[in-house]
Amino acid sequence: MSRKVSISAREFETQAIAQLSALLGVASRLTRNPADAQDLVQDTLLKAMRARDQFEAGTNMRAWLLRILTNTFINRYRRGGLERSVLDGPDADPLADGWISASTMESMRDPESQALRPMLEKEIKRILDELPEEFRLAVVLSDVEELSYKEIADIMGCPIGTVMSRLHRGRRLLKGRLYEHARALGIVGPEALVGEASEKQEPVIDLSQYREKRVARS
Amino acid sequence: MTSSCRQISPLLEAFGDEELAADKLLEVEQHLVDCDTCGERIRLNQALHVSVRSAVRAAAPVMPGFEERIAAALRAEAAREESIDHVVEREAQHSRMLSWRSVVPVAAAAALTLVWAASTSKHQQAGVEGSSSARLNTADQLLEELVDHHMNARGPQVTEPALLSQLEPEVGVPLNLPSLKAYGARWEGANVVPVSNQHAASLRYTMGGRHVTLYVYNSTRVPIESRLKARTVRNEPVYVGSRRGVSIAAVEHRGVGYALASDFSDDESAELVAAVY
Repeated sequence: MSRKVSISAREFETQAIAQLSALLGVASRLTRNPADAQDLVQDTLLKAMRARDQFEAGTNMRAWLLRILTNTFINRYRRGGLERSVLDGPDADPLADGWISASTMESMRDPESQALRPMLEKEIKRILDELPEEFRLAVVLSDVEELSYKEIADIMGCPIGTVMSRLHRGRRLLKGRLYEHARALGIVGPEALVGEASEKQEPVIDLSQYREKRVARS
Repeated sequence: MTSSCRQISPLLEAFGDEELAADKLLEVEQHLVDCDTCGERIRLNQALHVSVRSAVRAAAPVMPGFEERIAAALRAEAAREESIDHVVEREAQHSRMLSWRSVVPVAAAAALTLVWAASTSKHQQAGVEGSSSARLNTADQLLEELVDHHMNARGPQVTEPALLSQLEPEVGVPLNLPSLKAYGARWEGANVVPVSNQHAASLRYTMGGRHVTLYVYNSTRVPIESRLKARTVRNEPVYVGSRRGVSIAAVEHRGVGYALASDFSDDESAELVAAVY
C-alpha cells in the first residue's frame, strides 16, 4: 500500500540524480533539442523537489518524475496538450500494418543482436522524431523506460485503451517507415502481401456460387 | 495468414509488452507453437523494442557537468527551503513568548519578515548557510548556467515586444524591452530559462552578426555579482567577469537584475549592460 511520506532534500537529490539518464532520454525525444531537454529536466526536478511531499512511498519514482516532466513540457512548449495525430482514419500504407511475410520480417532483423539490422537501426531516431508527439511519447515510455500501460496512462493523462492505441499506431508507423527504408536499401525486395491486404484482392464469390458449393458438399 | 492468426494478431503487442491476461497468454502461446509468421512478428516487435531503446539512449547521453549542475540547483532549492523554515520557526518561538498585547504587532512583523525572507534568498543564504564558499559555489553555478543558455539558445517563445509581458508571471519581475538600438543591436525574441532554482527572461539580440543575450531576473534570487568584479560605468556599479570565453556584465536596478552575455570584451559588455535601463 502506498502512502505519502516526507523525503529529505538530500534523499530526494540522490533518487532524482539516479533517474537523470531516463529523464534526459524522454526529454530529448520530446523537445528534439539537447539544450531544451536539459532545461526541461532541470525544471522538472526543481518542481518535483518542491512537491516531494506528494510522492507516494512505494510507487515508482521514475514514473512520478516522468509525469511531472510531461506536464512541464506540455505547459511550457505545448500550451493545450501534446501535438495530436494528423493521421486519423485508415493508414495509407497497408504494409505499415505488419502484414509482410515472415522471411521479409526476418531480413529486417539482425540475428545476432536480437535488434534490427544496424543499417535500419541508424534511422530509428529520425523516424521516431517524425512521429506525432502522442505516439512518440507512448513508444518511448514503453520501449525505452519499460513502464506498464497503467503507468503510461497516468503520465499521459489518458485511459489505458488510448495508450494501447497510441502504442500500436506509433509502432505500426515505425515499422512501415523502416520497411520502406529497408526496401530502398535493398535489404528486402518487393513482395506479394500476405494477410488482410492480399485477402481484400481475392475474387468475391457470389451467393449462387456459394449455394452451389454447399449443395455439392452435401 | 489463417483465421486463427487474425484472432491472435491484436494480442501480439500486449503479449510482447507482458500486459496480457493469463487466459489470453495461454491462447497466444499455443498459437505460437505452430505459427512461424506470428512468431516472426513477435521477434520483429522485440527487435524494434531493442533498437528504439538503444537509439534513444545513445542520442541523449548525460553530458559531463550536467549532473553537477542539477545537484547544485537542487541544493540551492534545499537551502532556500531551509532558510524559510528557519525564519518561520524563529518567529513562532518569539510569538509563543509574547503577551497577547504584543502578539498582533509582532505577528504582522513576522509576516513582513517572511515575505521579505521569501523574496531575498541572497540575504537569507548569507545568514543561514553561514558559509561564504557555498554562496560562491552558487554564484559560480549561476554563471555557468547563464553561459550555457547563451551558447545553446533555443528558439524564442516571444518575438513581439508587446507580448513580452506574457513572460512576467514566470520571471517575477516587470519586463520592458531595452532597445539597445543606439549600439546597432537588433532584438530577435525572448524566452524563459531556468537559472538555478529561479526563472530568468532571456532576451536575444544580434549585433553585427554576433549574438548577445540579456537576462532579466529577480536580482534578490539570482545573486551572481559575488563572482564578478565591480566597476563603475557612468556613475553606476556594474559587475563584470568571464566564463569559457563569454563575457558577463551585470547591473541591478530597483530589485531587477540585468546580466548581459556576449563574446565582446568585458569593457564593451559593461558599456552595453549599463545602458539597459
